[in-house]
Amino acid sequence: MTRTDLLSIQGLRTEFPTPDGPLAAVNGVDLEIARGDVLGIVGESGSGKTVLGLSIMGLVDRPGRVAAGRIAFDGTDVTAFSEAQWQGLRGNRVAMIFQDPTTSLNPVQRIGTQMIEAIQAHRDISSGAARQIVREAMVRVGINSPDERLAAYPHQFSGGMRQRVVIAIALLNEPDLIIADEPTTALDVTVQSQILRDMRRLCRDSGSALIWISHDLGVVAQIANRVAVMYAGRIVEQGATMELLKSPSHPYTAGLMASMPANSPRGQRLISIPGGLPQLSNMPKGCSFAPRCTRATEACEVLPDLSFISRGHGVRCVFPLHVGASLAERN
Amino acid sequence: MLAFVLRRVMQSVVVLFVMSLVVFSMINLVGDPVDMLVNPESLPEEIDRVRRDFGLDQPVHVQYWKFLLGAISGDLGKSFIFGRPALALMAERFPATLELATSALVISVTVGLPLGVYAGLRPDGWGTRIIMGGSVLGISVPTFWLGLMMIIVFSVVLGWLPVSGRGETARFLGIESSAFTLDGLRHLVLPATNLALFKIAMVIRLARAGTVEVMALDFIRFARAKGLAPRRIVLAHLMPNILIPIVTVLGIEFGTLIAFATVTESIFAWPGLGKLVIDAIVNLDRPIVVAYLLFVVTLFLVLNLVVDIIYALLDPRVRLQGDET
Ligand SMILES: Nc1ncnc2c1ncn2[C@@H]1O[C@H](COP(=O)(O)OP(=O)(O)O)[C@@H](O)[C@H]1O
Ligand code: SF4
Ligand SMILES: [Mg+2]
Repeated sequence: MTRTDLLSIQGLRTEFPTPDGPLAAVNGVDLEIARGDVLGIVGESGSGKTVLGLSIMGLVDRPGRVAAGRIAFDGTDVTAFSEAQWQGLRGNRVAMIFQDPTTSLNPVQRIGTQMIEAIQAHRDISSGAARQIVREAMVRVGINSPDERLAAYPHQFSGGMRQRVVIAIALLNEPDLIIADEPTTALDVTVQSQILRDMRRLCRDSGSALIWISHDLGVVAQIANRVAVMYAGRIVEQGATMELLKSPSHPYTAGLMASMPANSPRGQRLISIPGGLPQLSNMPKGCSFAPRCTRATEACEVLPDLSFISRGHGVRCVFPLHVGASLAERN
Repeated sequence: MLAFVLRRVMQSVVVLFVMSLVVFSMINLVGDPVDMLVNPESLPEEIDRVRRDFGLDQPVHVQYWKFLLGAISGDLGKSFIFGRPALALMAERFPATLELATSALVISVTVGLPLGVYAGLRPDGWGTRIIMGGSVLGISVPTFWLGLMMIIVFSVVLGWLPVSGRGETARFLGIESSAFTLDGLRHLVLPATNLALFKIAMVIRLARAGTVEVMALDFIRFARAKGLAPRRIVLAHLMPNILIPIVTVLGIEFGTLIAFATVTESIFAWPGLGKLVIDAIVNLDRPIVVAYLLFVVTLFLVLNLVVDIIYALLDPRVRLQGDET
C-alpha cells in the first residue's frame, strides 16, 4: 500500500442477518485498484461478487450491512459515510452497472429524463446543457439519432440498446471508478463482445478505473489487466491477468480454466468442477473449497493465509499448484 | 376493441333489465304506499280512487310492463309524494352527492397516498405501526358511528364546524359547489372526511403494498446508484409506478362512494341523492326508490366498462386479446 490507490479495501465483511445468526456473503476481502486499472472479479454464481460491488456502492440491501473492514476511496474511508455523503459519491465518482438491462431502467419514464436526472443530481446545470451532454454520451456508446431515442421509453429498446443506455448513464459524470456487474450476461454473444470492446475503449478515454464482474474467466481475461478469483465470499487468488492465466495456483482457478471452452478439446464435453458452492450457513471449517478439492488433506481444515507466489500474485491455498521458489522460501 | 365494447354494452343492458325486475318485485313486498298517501280515516271510496290514480290497483306484472315501457322512453315515473318526475328530482340532488363523493375521493388520495408511501418506505418504523393501526380502525369501525362521533366532537363539543346541511354555494367555471365558499367548505369538511375514512384506509393499503413491491425492483437500485436524492426517487420513480393501479381501483370505487354517501348524507342531513332515497324509503315513495337503485346499478356498470376500456388501452396483451374475439 505504498502507491496511492484509488480504491483500497481491507478485511471487508458484509453480513446478512438470519434467525441463526449473521451470514457473511463477503468475508475478509482485500482489494486494491489504482487509477485507470481494469480489475476482473471471477467466481461462480453465489460467490459474493454482487454483494462485494454493492458494498463498495453503499447499496447492500437491508438488513444486510458491512460489518467489518475498511473501504477507502481516494484515501477516505466511506464505510462510515452518511446518506448524503453517499449520494455525492454514487453516480458521480463511482458508478455501477447491473446485470439485467431489461430491469435497470424505469419503465414509465422517458430515457432522456432518466439520463438528465443523473447529471443534475451532481451538477448545477440547466436541462438544456444536460441534454447536450446526454446526446454526446448516447453517440459515444453507439446510439444514433439520439434526439428521437431520448423521447422513447425503455420497452421500445432492445436489450443491447438498453444496456448501452445504462453504460452511457454510468459514464455521464466521468466517474473515477465503474463497477460493471456481469453487464453482458443477459445479451447475445455478438452484442456481448461488442460491448466489451466499447467498454474498454470508453474507460480508457475517460481514465476511469473499471471493476468487471463475471462468472466467465474467458470474458474477464479479455478486458482486465488484473484478476481476482472469488469463492464463497473470499478472494482465493489474485494477480496480473497474464501471470494468473499462465500459472493458476489455486485449484479452483485451475478448475475454472479447465472449464473454459477454449481449453477443452474440440468435440468433447466441457470439463466442470464437480459439486457446488457450500451453503453460507454451513461453511467448511478451513478452506471453503475443500469439499470439491482433489488435493485436500487434513492440513486444509485450517483457513489458509494469503501467500504470494510472486510479486502481486497471491493465493489462499495450502498446496498451491505451480509452486515457485517463493513458497519454498516461506517453508 | 369495438366488438369488445359492444359486447359489454349488451351485457350491461341485460344486467340492467334483470335488476329492474328484481327491484320492482322486491319493492312490492315492502308495504302498501297508499297507506302513506291518504288520511287513515278517509272513506274506502277515497282510498280506491287514489289507488286507481297511481295505477296501484292493477296486477304487479301490468304495473311492471307499464314501468318498462316508460323506462325505455326515459320516464321512470312520478314521485308519489312530490308529484314530479323521479329523474328530475334525482337530477336536482345529484350535484350535492357528486360534490361530496369527489371531495371524499380527493381527501382519500391526498391523505392516504403519503401515509401509505411512508409506511412502505419504513416498514419497521413506529410511524408505520400507527398508520397501519389507524387504517385497520378506518376499515373496521362503522361509518355512521364515526360520523356521529365527529359531529359530537367537532360540532357539539368544540363548536368548530356546523352540525348539518350543505351551506352556501357559489358558481365557478360553470360548476355550482359549496367548495367555493368558506361557509360551504365548513359544511363540507365533516361529511366528506367521514365518507373518505374507509377509502383513506384502502389507499394507504394499496400505496404501501405498491411501495414495498416497487422499491425492491432493480430500477430503483439503479436510481440510487445514480446518486439521486431519496425525494427524487420517490417522486419520479416510485410514484408513477404505484399510481397506475391505485387510480384504476379508485375509478371503480367512485361508484361505491356515491352509493355509500347514503349513510353519510343521512347523518349530516346533506341534501343529496342519498337523503332523497332514504326519505323515499321511509315514505314508500316507490318510483324514487326504483329510479335510485337503477341509477346506482347503471353507475357501476358504466364505471366498470370505462375502467375496462382504459385497461385494455393501456395493456397491449388485453388489447390484442380483444381483437381476436
Ligand atoms: N439481499 C440478500 N439477503 C440475503 N442474502 C443475500 C442477499 N443478497 C445476496 N445474498 C447471499 O449472498 C451470497 C452471494 O450472493 P451474490 O453476491 O449475489 O453472488 P454472485 O453475484 O457472485 O452471484 C449468496 O449466498 C446470496 O444468497
Ligand atoms: S487449501 Fe487445501 S482444500 Fe483448499 S484449495 Fe488448497 S488444497 Fe484444496
Ligand atoms: Mg451477481
